[in-house]
Amino acid sequence: MNPKSNQIVRIEDVRKVYKAKGSFFGARKKDVVALDGVSLTIPRGEIFGLVGESGSGKTTLGRLLIGLEETNSGKLFLDEEEVTHLRGKELKRFRRKVQMIFQDPYQSLNPQRSVFDTVSEPLKIHKLGLGSDKYEKVRQALQAVGLAPPDDYLHRYPHRLSGGQRQRVAIARAMILNPEFVIADEPTSMLDASISAQIFNILLKMRTDFDVTMLFITHSLAAARYLCDRIAVIYRGNLMEIGPGEEVIGNPMHPYTKALLDAIPKFGQKEVMKRYGTLLSREREDANGSGCAFFSRCKVADEGQCSMTKPVLNERSKGHLAACFF
Amino acid sequence: MPLLNVKNLTVGYNTKHGSLKAVDGVNFTLEEGESLGFVGESGCGKTTMGMALMGLLPPNGSVREGQIIFEDKDLLEMSPEQIRRVRWRKIAMIFQAAMNALNPVQRVGGQVAEAMLVHDDSLGEEEAMVKVEELFDLVGIPRDRMIDYPHQYSGGMKQRAVIAMALACQPKLIIADEPTTALDVIVQDQILEEMKQLQKEFNLSIIFISHDISIVADMCHDIGVMYAGQLVEYGPREAVFESPVHPYTKALLSSFPTLTGEKTDLVPIPGETPNLVTPPAGCRFCDRCTQPGTTCKTEPPEWVAISGEHKALCCRC
Repeated sequence: MNPKSNQIVRIEDVRKVYKAKGSFFGARKKDVVALDGVSLTIPRGEIFGLVGESGSGKTTLGRLLIGLEETNSGKLFLDEEEVTHLRGKELKRFRRKVQMIFQDPYQSLNPQRSVFDTVSEPLKIHKLGLGSDKYEKVRQALQAVGLAPPDDYLHRYPHRLSGGQRQRVAIARAMILNPEFVIADEPTSMLDASISAQIFNILLKMRTDFDVTMLFITHSLAAARYLCDRIAVIYRGNLMEIGPGEEVIGNPMHPYTKALLDAIPKFGQKEVMKRYGTLLSREREDANGSGCAFFSRCKVADEGQCSMTKPVLNERSKGHLAACFF
Repeated sequence: MPLLNVKNLTVGYNTKHGSLKAVDGVNFTLEEGESLGFVGESGCGKTTMGMALMGLLPPNGSVREGQIIFEDKDLLEMSPEQIRRVRWRKIAMIFQAAMNALNPVQRVGGQVAEAMLVHDDSLGEEEAMVKVEELFDLVGIPRDRMIDYPHQYSGGMKQRAVIAMALACQPKLIIADEPTTALDVIVQDQILEEMKQLQKEFNLSIIFISHDISIVADMCHDIGVMYAGQLVEYGPREAVFESPVHPYTKALLSSFPTLTGEKTDLVPIPGETPNLVTPPAGCRFCDRCTQPGTTCKTEPPEWVAISGEHKALCCRC
């Protein structure tokens, strides 16, 4: 076994293209580039936030990392071990270390299985824990996510759980194998605000209790600010900006991040927020696709280099990178 | 005289678990050209209230008590035919999940025209199409997209088309129920700006319903906070936001993460909303309240005036 490295997750220049099916008569549609050369590393114990709009590729990245999809090119590493194309036994071993919490707890739990069945299934699959030992582990996991006393919940079925309770069951299922890396894909988008806050706090507790590294995928910059140490902003499959959470939100470098911040309703924020005004009111139509992904909507872009060359991430201040020529 | 005066509105549902009051004794008024926002979590009765105002309750729901006085007439005493004349011509609605509110097999322009033709017998088909063009300009959809089908539209454009449909008969009041919930923030921002401008231009009254208090505050002058079927706090947005008094409003505000200021711990609200089939005798928030009084559990709370229009349904305030 490898000695534990500091960088638990490393992604190198990952590309993922979904082939579009053309209709029988019509011309072939354009392929969808979900991820267009994404590289990043996540150090052990960090909660890393991936923020983007729908269709930005954030969920695709999560699915690649857990092995639900395969990359077209690029490499994925977990603990310095390449995990890009795992099969069979190795894949199973990998899945013990990486777990996922899905978006919709109304769909991610099997309605015909009790809480105990759901939470203990990973133990069964990986042949860990037997009999009473298994019960004890499930009880502990439920306790850890605040479903207490656990015996009240063990034999309930999902229809008798509220949305928040279901999501906690999903978290317990993800945590029971004591994974090294957990991907949480919009875990609160189906839940009310007061319940979301519970889930956020449980995720923070998981990090301290189990020393787990987390990729938190969200569309909400405010949620990312609350939870994450570092934030990356993704747009049409390209990372636009990466940096410490406070930095990215308080001192954004990329015009797209600025446009996102501008669009958030301002009333009730604790301080007056600056308006950046980086979004073009009318999209440019002359974008040819070879330049910056945000070119067609960017006010500060120049017609020359921004439309021709794709900017790479460069460091603006310590640990704060932006992919922009300006 | 207010445009809309809702008095003691109580809406009940008959469910297989028993009869319940989804909206219980709600009072408010709305002046012409003003906007009022209702905020609350799922199951608080905000959508039911909007549907009751439109006279569109599902078969197992009915208004049990109260009055909805619109332009001096009680909508609840009108015949179905009379209501049909008010609905859409005077009161229009932007539905939740607007993307699904459009008919997938009909061209979008035609659907908007239909909304006009159904409610105005004197209008010819060609006239209607001219009006649709104007409406499309108004909400910012290119005219050449009129002949497209809904699946060719993006989410934001569908939302705009639904707004165009709501404006089609030049109503006085628009009820917008979570009109931007499924949209990305940038598109949401554009739609909200659009709605604000239209409101000014046509002196519209808007009732805005959402679970997101920051959107409601952004859109509306006055805010009503709903919990378990009741209005629990009401007032100008500044008052409700900056000096909330009801424990639920306070709890709701502190459970949202913010973008500015010091990063404080979010405080989730413990427990669950009460079962409305057997509502508690006293305050409905009592079981989740951090500082309940001795009588809160047994006696129903009363409205307390805080300052001006600002009031709360709480016996501790």
